[in-house]
Amino acid sequence: MTRAVAAGLLLLLAVSCTTPEPPRAQAGSPESTTCAPPKGPPREEAPTTIDVVEQAYFCILDEYWRAPAMDPRDLLVAGFTALTRALPGAPLSLPPLTGDPRGDWAAFEATYRKITDREDLAEVTLEAMVAALDDNHARWMHDVERPPGYYDGDGYGLGFQVTGDDPLFVSAVEGGAARKAGLRPGDVIENVDDPGLLRPRYPDGQPVELRLRRGDRRWSVTLTPGLYPRDLATLQVVQSRLIDDEVVYVRVRGFSPDAANRAFRAIDRLRAGRSVRGVVLDVRGNGGGSPVEATRLVSAFVHGKVTSHLCTVDDQCEPGQTDDTVGLVGLPLVVLVDGGCASACEHFSSAVKAHAAGLLVGTRTAGLISGPGEPFLLRDNTVLSFPTRRHLGPNREIVDRIGVAPHHFVPPTPDDAAAGRDAALAKALTLLDTR
Amino acid sequence: MRRTLAVLIVLTACSAPAPPRSAAPSPTPPRPATLAAPTGEHPVGTTVLHLTDASRPDPWNLDAGARELRVTLWYPSGRGAGERAAYMSPRESELTLAGSGAAGVPPDILSRTVVYATTDAPAPGRHPLVVLSPGFTKPVSTLTSLAEDLASRGYVVAGVDHTYENYATTLADGAVAECLACDSDTDPGFGTGVVGNRAADVSFVLDELLKKKPAMIDPTRIAMAGQSIGGASALAAMAADPRIDAGINFDGTTYARLPRGFARPFLFVGTPQHAPGGRDHSWDRDWNLLKGWKRWLTVTGADHQSFTDLPQLQSALGLKPLAGTPGAARLAEITRTYVAAFLDEHLRSRPQPLWAGPSSRYPEVKFGS
Repeated sequence: MTRAVAAGLLLLLAVSCTTPEPPRAQAGSPESTTCAPPKGPPREEAPTTIDVVEQAYFCILDEYWRAPAMDPRDLLVAGFTALTRALPGAPLSLPPLTGDPRGDWAAFEATYRKITDREDLAEVTLEAMVAALDDNHARWMHDVERPPGYYDGDGYGLGFQVTGDDPLFVSAVEGGAARKAGLRPGDVIENVDDPGLLRPRYPDGQPVELRLRRGDRRWSVTLTPGLYPRDLATLQVVQSRLIDDEVVYVRVRGFSPDAANRAFRAIDRLRAGRSVRGVVLDVRGNGGGSPVEATRLVSAFVHGKVTSHLCTVDDQCEPGQTDDTVGLVGLPLVVLVDGGCASACEHFSSAVKAHAAGLLVGTRTAGLISGPGEPFLLRDNTVLSFPTRRHLGPNREIVDRIGVAPHHFVPPTPDDAAAGRDAALAKALTLLDTR
Repeated sequence: MRRTLAVLIVLTACSAPAPPRSAAPSPTPPRPATLAAPTGEHPVGTTVLHLTDASRPDPWNLDAGARELRVTLWYPSGRGAGERAAYMSPRESELTLAGSGAAGVPPDILSRTVVYATTDAPAPGRHPLVVLSPGFTKPVSTLTSLAEDLASRGYVVAGVDHTYENYATTLADGAVAECLACDSDTDPGFGTGVVGNRAADVSFVLDELLKKKPAMIDPTRIAMAGQSIGGASALAAMAADPRIDAGINFDGTTYARLPRGFARPFLFVGTPQHAPGGRDHSWDRDWNLLKGWKRWLTVTGADHQSFTDLPQLQSALGLKPLAGTPGAARLAEITRTYVAAFLDEHLRSRPQPLWAGPSSRYPEVKFGS
């Protein structure tokens, strides 16, 4: 579940009413298990100490999918590097490391304790170790705080979405500072290359200066991140409509726990009593979620196939099969994809493509699918999550970092955005026409 | 059975952490529950109204062009009343139990719950009105114990079943609406959407009741109370509708934006997890926006369902309360006493000593903030 989808209610509900605990992919032997999946409602976070860093270090070495092929010293070096940056004046040197995880940890910890007992430095060290995995599904969740004055459904940030690569441009204005400043879809952002800079997260409240172009007009605005209400209708995870009375359009914004069934019900409802030519599934911006839901959605269009593999570092793979209890829709399918389609969304898209269950239209997917993140509870009641097995595609191909290329490349353009045109959807309708 | 209970608790506790509870299969076949007797002076009558709001489409059933609502009225009555009312229908019982993951009990057992209100009872006099809104997935009959008590004390109570937001609502044509809203309950903005819909439901219900029952209801004295998202809806409905003079929220995370200078009386009643500064920030946020009479109570040992009928239904469902939780009769007494004190204070202008601070008679009730 990505932040985009999980925003709002999910966190509140997580304490008592969301998904059952995800199954553990691989359980370590009791002696070696230094961390376990969280059970029950989250508890109040305790200070992060060096002992928590130790637990996380051994947790990664015991459970992370790539750990058997890693040099454990890399984690300690990364942690130590971060320490030296946080304490530029301290006379720090890394003790000799032998490659023995326990002995090296003892040496590291002894050095650390000599330097500091500051809690924030334990956090810096742990964050650096997790970052050293360079894994898009590895994260340490701590100090997750809502902005004061938050209401369920609110957005935080500058108030707009961007798309495009060169140039980067506004794809949607949601509210907040962007709406106040009069930004419109199609406005080109000339001074920012990294879209990440346009997505500040609380508590980051630094104003961002934008140089904008609309047609021939150029101007600058300074936007300050903040909370803003969003249109609730746009937040529904599954949205559907009938196009021209003959094509069923279903947008799936994330693979939340009931997403596939909701999509199926939408399709059934819209096709009832009419002759429908096909289905467009719009998964643009779908940041992922449950692999089970992704598999079920594929299974409405193809049966008896492998949709993905979960593999150990030495390529022991378990294939994930379609769920053939799902009824086949039996209509031609076009899937709209883009660079916002990540994780479970790429699981879905790669399976559709590999088994010719439909055509993909749009732009290449995100390539953020290292493997399903499994949560582990640390003793300060924070959660460390990472894949215990990696994800490979239906043909055991690597999708992570590569993404899934569409059959038909239809990139969004500022002109289309300004005019409210959806070129990818138009292409999809053409494809369904000729099938 | 442990699993059953866990599922039941999880499904019932949609906005606050629910402490784990132990359960054991009951040794004898469970018998239907008998609710605590109403404590006021009036016998209680009850009737069901089916109302249709043609001005807006149903928010959950995309094929329904109008919003159908079922409203259960409980009211102070005279003597010589008719038959005892049903708690819910056998089909509603079956769907509610199935939705809650309860198993191993007769599916109709909730419909055999013994209540006190009678049907076809006369409705003498004009009284203040209290709207009740239940928790998500729950029919409003899960607030019957409170509703009957309030009616016996001289209030007309209108319990609203927000169609498609619970496991079973029998509509005017006999069809049983199930929980369509359950499909999307993990969507961002879901809670905000629900309380917005419920505020619209309640405004429509008030329009209809004031039109249809002018002899029964005093339109100048109206309050609303609810549990979980129903409690959050009380605040949302008050923000949207100035006719509602006062409100009570039992343990519900809140979602509505309050207008500036919102000064009507409001009462928060929560579990210890809902104490000031707890994990759910919504009450802290709203507390600062409430500019009128306000109190924030927490009840030691209470869980998310403690303010509903559930504690009284537990033995019928083969469930046992966790050690440390006040008994069902005690929870009913606390809930009824504080609600009545709130309503008597604000709808009847009768000052209540309970609001001065902690009471030695109710040591479980803590005053926060």
